[in-house]
Amino acid sequence: MNIGAVMGGGAALAEAEIAATPALLALEDVGLVYNGRVRALDGIDLAIRRGEIVGLVGESGSGKTTLCKALMGLERVTAGRISLGGQAIDALIDRDALAFRRKAQMLLQDAVASLSPRMRIGRLLEEPLRIHGLDLGEGRARILALLQRLGLPPNTLDKFPHQISGGQARRVAILRALVLNPDIIVADEPTAGLDVSVQGDLLNLMLDLQAEFGLTYLMVSHNLNVVRRVTGRTVVMYLGQIVEEAPTRALFAAPAHPYSAALLSTNPSVDPARRRARTVLKGEIPSVVNPPSGCRFHTRCPQAVARCAREAPALREAGGGRRVRCHFPLATGLAQPPDAA
Amino acid sequence: MMAGLSDSIRSGDGVAGVLARVSRSFTGLVGLLIVAAIIAIAALAPFIAPHDPDAIDVLNRFSGPSARHWLGSDHLGRDLASRLMHGATVAMAVALAAISAGLTIGTALGILAAYLPTRWERFILIIFDVILSFPSLILALAIVAVFGPSTVMVVLIVAITLIPQFGRVARAQVLTLKSAPFLEAERILGASSLRIVTSHVLPNIVGPLLVLASMDVPVVITIEAGLSFLGLGVRPPQSSWGTLIQDGYQYLSDSWIPVLVSSVALVLATLGFTLFGEALRDAADPRLNRER
Amino acid sequence: MAAPMVSIQDLVVDASTSRGTAHLLRGVSLDIGRGRILGVVGESGSGKSTLASAMLRLLPPNISRLSGQIRLDGLDLVALAPAEMEAIRGRRVAMIFQDPMTALNPLFTVGLQLIDVLRRREPGLRRADELKQAEAMLATVGIPDPRLRLAAYPHQLSGGMRQRVMIAMALMAQPDLLLADEPTTALDATVEAQIVELFDELRQRFSGSIVFISHHLGLVAELCDDLCVMYGGVIVESGPVTEVLARPRHPYTRALLDCEIDDDASGRLASIPGDVPDPLTVLTGCVFAPRCPHAAPRCLQGQPPLMELEPGRRAACIRADEVLP
Repeated sequence: MNIGAVMGGGAALAEAEIAATPALLALEDVGLVYNGRVRALDGIDLAIRRGEIVGLVGESGSGKTTLCKALMGLERVTAGRISLGGQAIDALIDRDALAFRRKAQMLLQDAVASLSPRMRIGRLLEEPLRIHGLDLGEGRARILALLQRLGLPPNTLDKFPHQISGGQARRVAILRALVLNPDIIVADEPTAGLDVSVQGDLLNLMLDLQAEFGLTYLMVSHNLNVVRRVTGRTVVMYLGQIVEEAPTRALFAAPAHPYSAALLSTNPSVDPARRRARTVLKGEIPSVVNPPSGCRFHTRCPQAVARCAREAPALREAGGGRRVRCHFPLATGLAQPPDAA
Repeated sequence: MMAGLSDSIRSGDGVAGVLARVSRSFTGLVGLLIVAAIIAIAALAPFIAPHDPDAIDVLNRFSGPSARHWLGSDHLGRDLASRLMHGATVAMAVALAAISAGLTIGTALGILAAYLPTRWERFILIIFDVILSFPSLILALAIVAVFGPSTVMVVLIVAITLIPQFGRVARAQVLTLKSAPFLEAERILGASSLRIVTSHVLPNIVGPLLVLASMDVPVVITIEAGLSFLGLGVRPPQSSWGTLIQDGYQYLSDSWIPVLVSSVALVLATLGFTLFGEALRDAADPRLNRER
Repeated sequence: MAAPMVSIQDLVVDASTSRGTAHLLRGVSLDIGRGRILGVVGESGSGKSTLASAMLRLLPPNISRLSGQIRLDGLDLVALAPAEMEAIRGRRVAMIFQDPMTALNPLFTVGLQLIDVLRRREPGLRRADELKQAEAMLATVGIPDPRLRLAAYPHQLSGGMRQRVMIAMALMAQPDLLLADEPTTALDATVEAQIVELFDELRQRFSGSIVFISHHLGLVAELCDDLCVMYGGVIVESGPVTEVLARPRHPYTRALLDCEIDDDASGRLASIPGDVPDPLTVLTGCVFAPRCPHAAPRCLQGQPPLMELEPGRRAACIRADEVLP
């Protein structure tokens, strides 16, 4: 709650303030290999500081879901280290799994399906209390207060998951996470399947809660507009690797990785003036079982040269808080150090 | 998209709702009525039976139906109606005990098979196959040969033969459920495996298992009657539909009534539970439900 | 302008459910111009998918009422006998679904399924000619190695390839009307872009009309000529897509546009308060009145008809001239 008093909306904390705090969640060279050959995650380096909202974008096979599961300790990584508040999560889980669960929570993509179908909402909301052996009376009071805060009518408690709307199911899922007072919430596609007319409400609520409870979000979404509007920093993944990471504004203004550029160009806009020329990539996403040699994107990259097929690029600093995994990053204008001009 | 188009069976409509759906079809209603009647008679037999089922009255052997003996009396002059009612108690008690034992053990093994590593899963499946490979009657004869006939043995034998089918269905149900998002959500909240199985897996697989159980009742009743008929089940003088048929069969030349009434009771019970079970299965299957 | 390819008049679709009668379409009237791409947008429960199903006469069995007219080149599809409709479906009207896996038969090769469509249109072709046409069609929809793909089964193809096969099958019939129900929703962004590009190319070679149903306003804006906005089983606004988006005349369209997140601005995100209408309720006033910021007492006196406000522009709002001139 130490940073609870920040303004709502957008990237809640000033960037300088965030940069000063130590990383809440840190991934160092994290890899995850299934069956000895499926490289679902490869060399993931990422630090998320307290109070940040980080967006994670990528298509199927990019490894974003696997990354979320690894962060939640649902999948054990095979290389590197994930730490929460400075401690390795494997050790945290082995010592006290419930304590770890109280720190890190996740909202699943399909909110309705994430609620046990034969339990009433009231009982579902009490589940975290029972699991963690928390005081039921106190917890119920907190649930009722949160119920009101999240704009859920009291009669929701008596309903079953299939009797509430998608937006309400999402609020119930958020409430279940909040009951445990977590530090970080991983939100997998928080607005997928929601009507546009209600997604704004949900995102506003999530932003308000972030400020009120001092939360940190990692938000996975294929909706680039949502990522652009809500997050402070965006990570782009392709075939199990981070290909670009940058402050959201800078990324959307001028992507440096050819894949980011193509991905952003596919985002259709209602406003003809804002439309980008679509860069349509050839072919489809290769399989992680047998990823391309060299740069994993070279098979679809519009500007790949011979070197790209041979040599795998490293994720390099590109200035302005941006990192790019490309031998020939696109000119961003913003990436130049201020004194270069 | 189209709200309300699919009003399939879902959680929260309770026993009354399910029974209402069962009785919507004619056969389901007939089944429900027979089942209700048999269960009521079985439960209340000591109170509603007009006579002591074991009271011998040799002067009134093979008396036809009368106001005193509704269905007449048998070769020892015992009241047939009372013996049938007490026979229903035995049949129901055996069915209840055997099926609940088979259901519990089978479900537990099935869930274990679905969650344990492959090696253990195979081991459990092999046990199921071994049990299934014995014809139940041969298995019964073998066990009775060793331990001697008794009601407890009947229950035990039937329970063992029922384990594989409950186990297989439970395992299949768990396998389809295992990757459901709500189980993952519980795991993220920190729920233990035991808690996930008891609070979240079980409630979602009991439906099909109970349908299976109700379809098993007629099977169990006939096995019990069959074993008792062969003298391998319920011991005389206790009345069972099987022993009633056996007794009547021996004195068929004196009177055909005992064989007829006890056989009709058996047929009615089998029919009732089968119709009920089928209607229950239809009511529990949302796909069948939607077609109406 | 020539007579429209499709002219829908007062189409009503009701369904009986356990809770009562659901009004899925509450009197829809719509013209689809020849060779035009019409985008149909709406949220869940707006009736946009029901509209497509009605045009194919592929409605679920619990439909209790289907009335009005759907004239395809003058022929009223609603009045046709099922057997006559059978001859229209997949021939003059074809459909592309969101999930191609449900529409492709998993047991037959892609080639066989394409040829099947071709035989319905042109029976008695030689096998070699059939194969040649099928191969050419796969090439048209941008499938590499079309000859090899003819022998592939649907499960051997990626999602994007399957959707291309679906489109190829629809085009093979040379339909007058192509219905596409959320054809790119299940696809990844870069693959979606490829399919959108394909639709863009198709408009050059395809002479029929296309109805493109989507919940994605941006996509419709980029792809379509005309736009039709649905809400609660009613068309609330229709017109050329650029004009409607630049200057909406119905408060719902306005509100929907405001909900589009399309810039770097911070601050609160827009939403529409309230819930989508329950299909079970009988309309007594304007369908959008309960959520409309401009609702006046007279808005509660019946659902306004879709009125022509200016040439080509229609909106179902009695206050359109006051609040959204």
